[in-house]
Amino acid sequence: MSNAPIIQLTNVTKRYGDEIAVNGIDLEVQPGEIFGILGPNGAGKTTTLEMIEGLRAPDSGTITVAGFNAVRQVDEVRKIIGVQLQSTSLFPYLSANEIMELFGHFYGIGNPKQRAAELLASVDLSAKAGNRVDQLSGGQQQRLSIALALVNSPVVSFLDEPTTGLDPHARRSLWQTVLDVRASGTTVVLTTHYMDEANVLCDRIAIMDGGRIIACDTPEALIRALPQDAVVKATTQMPVGWTHTDLASLPGATSATIDTTDSGSLIAIGSADVQATIVALLGLAERDEIRLTDLASTSATLEDVFLSLTGRSYGEDEITAEVTA
Amino acid sequence: MSSFLAMLIANIKMSLRNRQAMFWNLAFPALFIVLFGAIWGNSNFSSFDVGVVQADSELHTQILAALHGSDSFAVHEGTLEEELAALENNDRTVVIAFPTEAGAAITLYSADRPGDVSTEIAISATRSVLMSVLGATMGTPIDEIHIEALNTTFIDWFMPGIIAMSLMNTGIIGISTAFVAFREKGILRRIKVTPFPLWKFLVARVLGAMIVGLLSTFVLIGLSKLLFDAQVRGNWLLIIGVIILVSTCMLSIGAAIAAVARNVETAAGMANLITFPMMFLSGVFFPLSTMPDWMRPIMAVMPLKYGVNALREPMLYGHGIGAIWTDLLILIAISVVAILVAVRMFRWDSTDK
Repeated sequence: MSNAPIIQLTNVTKRYGDEIAVNGIDLEVQPGEIFGILGPNGAGKTTTLEMIEGLRAPDSGTITVAGFNAVRQVDEVRKIIGVQLQSTSLFPYLSANEIMELFGHFYGIGNPKQRAAELLASVDLSAKAGNRVDQLSGGQQQRLSIALALVNSPVVSFLDEPTTGLDPHARRSLWQTVLDVRASGTTVVLTTHYMDEANVLCDRIAIMDGGRIIACDTPEALIRALPQDAVVKATTQMPVGWTHTDLASLPGATSATIDTTDSGSLIAIGSADVQATIVALLGLAERDEIRLTDLASTSATLEDVFLSLTGRSYGEDEITAEVTA
Repeated sequence: MSSFLAMLIANIKMSLRNRQAMFWNLAFPALFIVLFGAIWGNSNFSSFDVGVVQADSELHTQILAALHGSDSFAVHEGTLEEELAALENNDRTVVIAFPTEAGAAITLYSADRPGDVSTEIAISATRSVLMSVLGATMGTPIDEIHIEALNTTFIDWFMPGIIAMSLMNTGIIGISTAFVAFREKGILRRIKVTPFPLWKFLVARVLGAMIVGLLSTFVLIGLSKLLFDAQVRGNWLLIIGVIILVSTCMLSIGAAIAAVARNVETAAGMANLITFPMMFLSGVFFPLSTMPDWMRPIMAVMPLKYGVNALREPMLYGHGIGAIWTDLLILIAISVVAILVAVRMFRWDSTDK
C-alpha cells in the first residue's frame, strides 16, 4: 500500500505490575481499512486499544495516530478519534438525543442538534431519539454508542468488542453499521473475540495471544497459509484411548486435537487430504471397534488459524476465560 | 453554548430526573417539615423556660427549690445579661431577678406579647410559685417588666436544621454514589477519550448538585412559609452564603467518599454510616442542650452540627456573621481536608491497573 499508515505502533510494551499485558508489538493500520484485533480474553487487545486512544501510556515504544504522538500530543489525538468502549457506558437519565448533543458540545462542532439527528438516523435510532438510555435494548445501546464515536467525524473510529452480548440479528445489523462507517471515509479499528465477525468485517486482522501479535494479514491469506484445507471432526460414544499424536500421524493429517470425557471423545483433525484422512480414521475405528458419530468435514476457518498458531483451540480459551471472569 | 455549560445543564437534568436522589434531597426533608410542622408548627417553642438570675440570698435558694419542685418549669440559671438575651431570643418565657437591697421588689421579665396565652400562663404560674414562697417570708413586692422578644415558633427552629439535612443528603449520598457509578460504568473513561477535560466534568457535576441543593432549599423554605408561616429573620445574603458553604462541605465529603470507595455498594454504605448518626446528633430534631453530657464529644465531631448552627443562628435569631464565625471556619476546614483527600485518592478507572 502506498499510503502512509494512519496508526503506527513500534515495539510497544505495557506492564501492570509483574504482568506483561502487551509485549513489544509492532502494528500499522492503513487509512480507510477496517482493521480487526482478534484474540481470547486477556490477550492484550483492550490494553493495545487503550494505549492508541491515549488512555494509558506505554512503558516503552512509540505510538502515532495520524502523525500525532499518542502520549505527548494526546490532546490532538482526542480531537480526531472516536471511541466506543467495551462496556456501554452512557449517562443515566439522559435521552439518546441529549447525550448526542452533549458530546457534540465536547468537540465544539457547529450544529450539535442537527448532527445528532443525522447520526441517530444513520444508526437507525431516529424513532428512539427521545428515549432514555435505560429504555433502549442492548443492540440499540451499542448502536448509540457507535453513533457517539462518530460525533466529531473522526479520522479513526475505535470499536471495542462492539457486538459482545448481542443476539445474532442485532450483530448482523451492527456489522452493516460498521461497513457504513468505513464507507463514510473513517478508518475503523475494532476488537472482537468472534472469529466469524473478524472474517466477515475486517480487511486485515492481527491475532493477539499472551500480549503478542502472532499473525497479521487479511483473513483469506491467514487461512490460505494453513497447512490443511479442511478439518475432519467426529465424536465417539465411548471414551477412546487414542492420543492426538496417533491422530496427527494419519495420512493427510497436519494437526489434531482430542478431548475425552466420560461420555465420549471429541476429535478434530486438520487435513491436507480430506479423503485419505477420513478413510484412515474409519479404518482405525473399525480396528478398535469404536462407533463414530457426527462425522463431518468443514473448510478451515480463523479458529483453525488460531489453533495452528497456538496449539490451543480457540473455544477452550473462551470457556476458561468465562469461568475465571 | 460552551461545553462546560452544556455539561452543567445535562447534570442538573440528570439530578432532577433521578427520583431516588430527589427523594432524599427534597421529599424526605419536606415530609419532616409537614409532619413535625403539623404537630408543633405554630407552638411557641420554649413556653415554660424560666430563667433565674444568680444571686446570693436565702430567697433565691428557696425560689429555685420551689421551681425545681414543679415539672412545669425548665429552670435555667445565669447572669441578668445572659438571661435577658435568652429572653429576647425566645429561649425563656420568664426571667426572675432578685433585688440587691433587702425589701426591694423582685422583677419578673417576660416578652411584650399582650394576649399571648402561653406567655400569660407562664407568668401566672411563676407568680403563684413566687407568692407561695414569699407568703412565708412576708410581702416582698413583685414588679413586672415586658420587653421586646422574638416570637419564634417551632417551625422557625426546625426549618434550618432540615435544610442542613437536605444539603447533607444531596452532598454526601448524592455525589459519593454518583461518582463511583460513573467510574464503574466507564463514564469517566468515556469522557477521558474526548477533548472535554475530566476535571471540568467533575466540577460541572459538583456544581450541578449544588444548584439542585439550593433549589431544594428554596422549596423547603417556601413550603414552611406557606404551610406554617415560618419566619426567616437574618440577612439573606449571609444565609445564602452559609447554605453554599454547608453544601460545599457536604459535597466535598461526598467526593472524598467516592475517591476512597471501591464500588457503589461500599460508597453507599460509607455514606449511610456517616449521614445516619449525623441526622440525629447534630441538633436537627432535638436541641443539643437536651442531649446528655457524655454525648457532647461525639456531637462535636459531626460536621452537620456546625452546619445546623451556622444556619439556625441567622435564620432563627437574625444573628450576624459574628455569632457563627467559628462554625464557618470549621466547615471551611472540613471542606479543605475532604477536597484534599478526594483529589489525592481520585481514580478514573475502576480496575486495579
